Amino acid sequence: MTEQSIVEAPPTVDPHDAGEVGEERSLASDAWRAMRRNPLFWVSAVMIAVFVVMAAFPGLFTRTDPTVPVLAEARSRPGDGTWFGRDIQGYDIYARCIYGARASILVGLFTSIGTVLLGGTVGVIAGYVGGWVDSLLSRIGDVFFAIPLLLGAIIFLVSLPDFFNNNYLLIVLKVVLALVVLGWPSLARLMRSSVIQVKPNDYVQAARALGASPGRIIRSHVLPNALAPMIVVATINLGAYIAAEATLSFLGIGLQYPAISWGIDISSAIVGLRTTPHMLFFPGMFLSLAVLAFIMLGDAVRDALDPKSR
Amino acid sequence: MRGTTRTVAVAAMSAVALLAAGCGSGDSDGDQSSAGGGAEGGEITVYGCNPQNPLVPQNTGETCGGDVLDQVFSKLVHYDADTAAPENDQAESIDTDDNQNFTIKIKQGLKFHDGTEIKAKNFVDAWNYAAYAPNGQYNGYFFEPIEGFGDLQCTGDGDDPCAKAGKPKAEEMTGLQVVDDYTFTIKTTEKVSNLPVRLGYSAFAALPDVFFDDPEAFGNKPVGSGPYKLDAWNKEQSIVLSKNADYTGDWPGKVDKITFKIYQDVDPAYNDVLADNLDIVTSIPASALIDDKYKSDLPDRNAQKETGRIDVLDFAPSSVDPNYDSVEVRKAISMAIDRDTIIQQIFNGTRTPATGWVSPVVDGYKADQCGEACTYDAEKAKSTLEAAGGFPGDKITLSYNADGGHKEWTEATCNSIKQALGVDCVAQGVVDFATFRSQIGDRKMKGMFRAGWQMDYPSIENFLAPLYKTGASSNDGDYSNPEFDDLIDQAAAATDEAEANSLYQQAEALLAEDMASIPMWYGKTTMGWSNNVTGVKITAFGTVDYTQVSVQ
Repeated sequence: MTEQSIVEAPPTVDPHDAGEVGEERSLASDAWRAMRRNPLFWVSAVMIAVFVVMAAFPGLFTRTDPTVPVLAEARSRPGDGTWFGRDIQGYDIYARCIYGARASILVGLFTSIGTVLLGGTVGVIAGYVGGWVDSLLSRIGDVFFAIPLLLGAIIFLVSLPDFFNNNYLLIVLKVVLALVVLGWPSLARLMRSSVIQVKPNDYVQAARALGASPGRIIRSHVLPNALAPMIVVATINLGAYIAAEATLSFLGIGLQYPAISWGIDISSAIVGLRTTPHMLFFPGMFLSLAVLAFIMLGDAVRDALDPKSR
Repeated sequence: MRGTTRTVAVAAMSAVALLAAGCGSGDSDGDQSSAGGGAEGGEITVYGCNPQNPLVPQNTGETCGGDVLDQVFSKLVHYDADTAAPENDQAESIDTDDNQNFTIKIKQGLKFHDGTEIKAKNFVDAWNYAAYAPNGQYNGYFFEPIEGFGDLQCTGDGDDPCAKAGKPKAEEMTGLQVVDDYTFTIKTTEKVSNLPVRLGYSAFAALPDVFFDDPEAFGNKPVGSGPYKLDAWNKEQSIVLSKNADYTGDWPGKVDKITFKIYQDVDPAYNDVLADNLDIVTSIPASALIDDKYKSDLPDRNAQKETGRIDVLDFAPSSVDPNYDSVEVRKAISMAIDRDTIIQQIFNGTRTPATGWVSPVVDGYKADQCGEACTYDAEKAKSTLEAAGGFPGDKITLSYNADGGHKEWTEATCNSIKQALGVDCVAQGVVDFATFRSQIGDRKMKGMFRAGWQMDYPSIENFLAPLYKTGASSNDGDYSNPEFDDLIDQAAAATDEAEANSLYQQAEALLAEDMASIPMWYGKTTMGWSNNVTGVKITAFGTVDYTQVSVQ
């Protein structure tokens, strides 16, 4: 898991732009301005948009049903009647790649949201309250942090009851749950240190002196100024979670039938590595592109939010 | 190299086993061997896997240990490598007048590797030991036909049925009597016409006196009587056999030393053969089977042979799942399975479509017993199902053990059923073989489930009686047909072999009438070897014929 080693205080106002008047220069608009100029952002944004449309409306890309095989044509090469050829079962690889996007995007998105919510909440409470609450929450986080992601996820997924294999959404949720449980501590640590950094600032002290409630202080003063590092890491992690999902599915414990996943397809194509590598290549390429897109986006966001790199 | 456990009788094709099958284009008859007659001596290395149990013939029911024990122990009867026909080995004669009382004379002067002579009591003691339930021998059930077997079984319940009151009544079977040093008699509870055929299975090997002193130590370094003796078993690494200079039997090996190198997976073993670091790999990994890759990898150094194995789909008993009661529904499902295409695309031709319930390698096999019910015809399948009023449930399920590499073909089978019948079919993996078997054994498994049967001894009876006789040990679908039982009993009592076979064939025809299970395919074994060896032949059991292998 990537972790921000140095957490920067959010920029207040960029001195170079101070001369311009009449325009509101909030943190967000400032970042947006920087991002717009970054080609990396546009490349990744287009790729992500394509993947998201693919996940939401796979029918736009293909009319072939990915669950209807033509066994007699199994392992046919790309171009033999299909764009990407067929896999061992005779499924259309192109259709499988398109429909596989949904599982990956859902897992990545839900896991990111889950870790942000859980890790962020824990981090804010630990950082703001401090004292024994901080110690307790941080130690709990350390316990989960110490479990290797893959090993922990394997144990977690294997021990889940069969109930989770009932339908598509539950199968996806099962993987999300495993990744959230093991992924939240890194975000909690990040959030905690950001909050600790923001907390002694004058405007926070002023708000407190004026009698604002802790909830209000966190909501209006601490959070907006401590959120940036977490957004960056969460975006980069989204790509990493997609890769983790594919890994788990590859090992046969992540997504399962009836879900379609790149990881499952890569796993079943591995026997053809020496003879029919195209079965492995296409789902592998889709997976790599999706992971790359989110990591590139995370990079672009970091560049935009981090004034030092400008 | 089937992982098939002979005991559970069913099903186990391990991951290795799936890979094991060979490839090929159906021309597997003819010369699977390179020219024999090479020089004697030298050393070879062979693919090996970890034996599940100590190396005692009565306690080994899988091929990892079995391949080794086959060389270390000779039996009363030897099976011909090509035809699996039984011939006397240690037995001088096996006589019976009524198929119930057998007199066995053993050859004089045969010796164990430790120099002690093999006598009648070595057989009787070993068999009693194996049948005595508290000893927990894996192959104990092979002695079931012998009179008095029941008294050696535990009668208690719970975790330890042998404790206290559950202790067996006797320690020796009444049906076994030593007459003199070289003669003993067997009396069976019922007539068993093929008992002499069974005696070649490793469970019936003789054990030397030293075994009874310390069975545990013996299991690590067994003292046998075969063409090779065991020098060392380096756990997780290798098992080393060397030639037994005192071997007097008719089937000596040619090479001086055989080392079974133990691998976790067949892929690296295959690569070692390509690099000439390993001499024989007894199965070919799936990655090399695709598009017959192994044939170009190992030109003229591969072989394939049909072996005594059949895969079927069983139906859950009616009391568990009544959806499959109708014979017409069963036939419709069977006709909806495109066996040829599945074999070609999923198994790369390493199976032969089944046309009955008995493997072609055994004497008494009759082709096409299943008839059109085992022939793919999507339209006929659909019309048969419609005539039977459609499928009663909402979906067909096909369960398999997820640890055995069965996912691909069960999925393909389900797809074939789904496309032909228009009924949803789901292939369901059960986490591992043990769980899978216990769900079947407890009669909790619904729908259809896979079963594989690897023959214990080359007899048509072995494919019928244990699987479909009322109450038989491996009758997972609780199939029961009095007429079938009657024919099996008659066949067992028949003294004429041809008559017995014909009765067994009639019994098999009843299975077709009732569609007791869906025959899928017969197994084949594929092997490859390095440039260092020559004369590799596959036996009817899918093992290497070491009487032919020699160093080049």
